[in-house]
Amino acid sequence: MDFEAVIGLEIHVELNCATKMFCDCPNRPGDAPNTHICPTCLWFPGAVPRLSRQALEKAALLCLGLEAELQPVSAFDQKVYYYPDLPKGYQLSQAHLPLSRGGGIEIPGEDGQTRRLRIHHIHMEEDVAKLVHEMEGRLPISLVDFNRAGAPLVEIVTEPDFRTACEAMEFLKALRTRVRYVGASECSMENGTMRVDANISVRPAGSDRMNTKVEVKNMNSIRHVGDAIAHEIARQSAAVQAGEAVILHTRLWDPDKKATVPMRAKFEGPCVPDPVVPVIALSAEWIADLRGRLPEMPAVRAERFMACYELNGEEAAFLSAEPEVAGYFEALITEGVAPRMAMHWLSTQLMPAVRERETALDACPVTPARLGGLLKMLARDEINAKAAREVLGLLFDEDGSPEAIVRRRGFGQVSDTAALEQLIDTVLAAQPAAVADFRSGQGKAMGFLIGQAMQASGGKANPKVIREMLAKKLAADSIESP
Amino acid sequence: MEELFVHRPAEATASGNGPLHGMKVALQPNCSVAGWPADAGSDALADFKALEDATIAGRLRQAGAVLCGTTRMSEFGFGLHGSRAGEAVRQGAADAELVLDLMGESRLAALRASVFGFKPSYGRLSRLGIIGLIPSMECAGLVTADLEVIAKILDAVAGADEMDFSMPAEPAADPEDGPIDPSRLTIGVIAEALQGLDDDAQAGFRQTLAAIRETGATLLDLSFPEFSLFPLAHQVVGAVEASSCAGRYDSVRYGRRAPGAKNWNEMYLRSRGAAFGPLVKSYLFQGAYFQFERYGAFEAACRIRSRLVARMDRLAAQVDVLALPAVDLAGSGNAASLGDTYARFGATLFANVTGQPALVLPPCPGTGGAGLQLTAARGGDGRLLALGRHLFNGRGGKA
Ligand SMILES: [Zn+2]
Repeated sequence: MDFEAVIGLEIHVELNCATKMFCDCPNRPGDAPNTHICPTCLWFPGAVPRLSRQALEKAALLCLGLEAELQPVSAFDQKVYYYPDLPKGYQLSQAHLPLSRGGGIEIPGEDGQTRRLRIHHIHMEEDVAKLVHEMEGRLPISLVDFNRAGAPLVEIVTEPDFRTACEAMEFLKALRTRVRYVGASECSMENGTMRVDANISVRPAGSDRMNTKVEVKNMNSIRHVGDAIAHEIARQSAAVQAGEAVILHTRLWDPDKKATVPMRAKFEGPCVPDPVVPVIALSAEWIADLRGRLPEMPAVRAERFMACYELNGEEAAFLSAEPEVAGYFEALITEGVAPRMAMHWLSTQLMPAVRERETALDACPVTPARLGGLLKMLARDEINAKAAREVLGLLFDEDGSPEAIVRRRGFGQVSDTAALEQLIDTVLAAQPAAVADFRSGQGKAMGFLIGQAMQASGGKANPKVIREMLAKKLAADSIESP
Repeated sequence: MEELFVHRPAEATASGNGPLHGMKVALQPNCSVAGWPADAGSDALADFKALEDATIAGRLRQAGAVLCGTTRMSEFGFGLHGSRAGEAVRQGAADAELVLDLMGESRLAALRASVFGFKPSYGRLSRLGIIGLIPSMECAGLVTADLEVIAKILDAVAGADEMDFSMPAEPAADPEDGPIDPSRLTIGVIAEALQGLDDDAQAGFRQTLAAIRETGATLLDLSFPEFSLFPLAHQVVGAVEASSCAGRYDSVRYGRRAPGAKNWNEMYLRSRGAAFGPLVKSYLFQGAYFQFERYGAFEAACRIRSRLVARMDRLAAQVDVLALPAVDLAGSGNAASLGDTYARFGATLFANVTGQPALVLPPCPGTGGAGLQLTAARGGDGRLLALGRHLFNGRGGKA
């Protein structure tokens, strides 16, 4: 029997706000344990939560970036469960009245058609504390780090629109791009600012039944999400084929075993409206104002790049995938670099160099102005491509403009024919065999002669000028000699 | 005899020299004062000391009041079982007491001590640093022998608190405290509020109304057919809120952690099981039942609550003030069961459901123990106090 999978995702994104969601503590969960805590995020008796304006704004921007509809009224609920990472007994979350409903992302389908994967709703919630398990001698102890308690999160809950692991991965990549665009989060599964749970069930292909689902957690990269989903589809299909029943439970992805393993369920109770955090009412003006602050989103930007800069779809998608890359590209254009040259140097030279040096595009010393200066010298034939690549390397380590570096290091290209005249005569005199080959019609001897001339110039001659001059000289000599 | 104060500071502290200069105010251990024990009457918070002042405690001090200590309270202020609220004022040990009012505790404590009791509008006083059980209904109430003291304290402590977003940033417009013309005064009487009083109390309350009519005011009979639903709305919504909100009183990070557990789940369960007294425990169980098993009934109770609020608003808008009986409906028993506790507060809990202000004047002699309870629309605290003063003086200022 052929099986089809039905997959829905629940994605937690940690917002990059300065403070926690309900107090003024810094939102830096990674710092030394329990350094960012106060009576509110420890939930001491008498504490009153105060919803952060920035958390609300970032969450709402994220919703708009995913084409979701912000709700005029939303509210927090108490999601009741007992666990030492949540010692107050409930998590503030939005269960009944979420911040937004609807929304979705279009991804390229495997058949070449675009497919829209829908979002059911997006809600805000606070993160819980982190548990650290250690041994004190032979005694196992558990420590609670409250730095993360109350950190601002949003949860994006999709419709069960996904059919393959590949679709889930494409969706997550596109989602990450959009969230980065609006500046709400770094959205990295590797460092835990994006956490994904997948709900998976299988059914006979073509059926529209919704079967019992299994939840899979603990993936820490987009690739792992794909692997875990693929594994779980295979596991469930085999089970159904063998006549076994699928039961509702949660499984953890084990990246070493490359398999999902069952986990013990955490008790979860119902949600009741929180009586303390005020209801959130968003006015139409507030939403319009926020919409005005929404940057140009990646799909729109890619289309503009194709139209304005004559790039193909793949190039435009590449350049618009990361807001930093797109911004850098446009800054190069503003500097006066031709679009194709900017695209080429950004993708094949600068970005690999940035990765190699483990820095970031927006933090590296090669600013668009400096790289733009270098590329304009290249376009004007003041240096050649080889020298330009070398100067790029130097721009990471040396101060000063590219022009100054070229001058200081003597990378300047010699295009002056008077200066090259003698050099070419010397090469021709020293290479009579190559000259003879050329004259007998062996074109590749030209390449050899250019190489000799370049070497003689110490790499500084303009190869275009050398070629022209050599061609002229050899043509003139060949008329004279018979 | 047991010492009245469970905690007395070594030296009573007042930092300001303001309008409350020298006034002695007694608190309950649910109102945070930095460094003071704040167990809210519960083993779940045993030995917990407040880290910072509640906003209202800080404002009292700044206004010059002397915080003279805390008196014994019922567990989380729920009911009056085991509470000594009102005694400090009756004995002259304090000029005023702050008493947490979840169902009418401050008002019945005042009645018990034959003094004034006032529950401000919900949102009038900051909640920061107040430990309680039913966030949407409870409020610090005032008990005092002097009506002027209520207004002075309210002036000093009420108003927006940037640390409590649940308060309106702008205080609700409080009608002008202008002159009162007795002949133009209309006082609403809700007929259904008299149901459930015994004959003596009914007769006593009618006698009080007759005395008010003699001052020249007009009495207007009003009908509130659903008035009898107030206890139900209070109990279902209150129990669910309590059950969820009490989760933070885990008796693990503070309170008494139960010994001998094999793992942390067991430790949490045992500690919580040992932490709460029987009354609160049965209340939390009831809340958990609605939360887990009858969520629809909880939602229905929330809808009923909205209806009750809307109806009360309409009635309050028709008159200057509403007059209801103030009666302690304690049965003969010890009133420690949930049913008895709710029955006892039958005359007062409506104001906790709606959030409106309520003022209890002590009963005149021969009124069957029925005091006069005045109430107005939410936010009308100042005018309510002025009218209360007028009516009290009208009957010769007699208690
Ligand atoms: Zn904090």
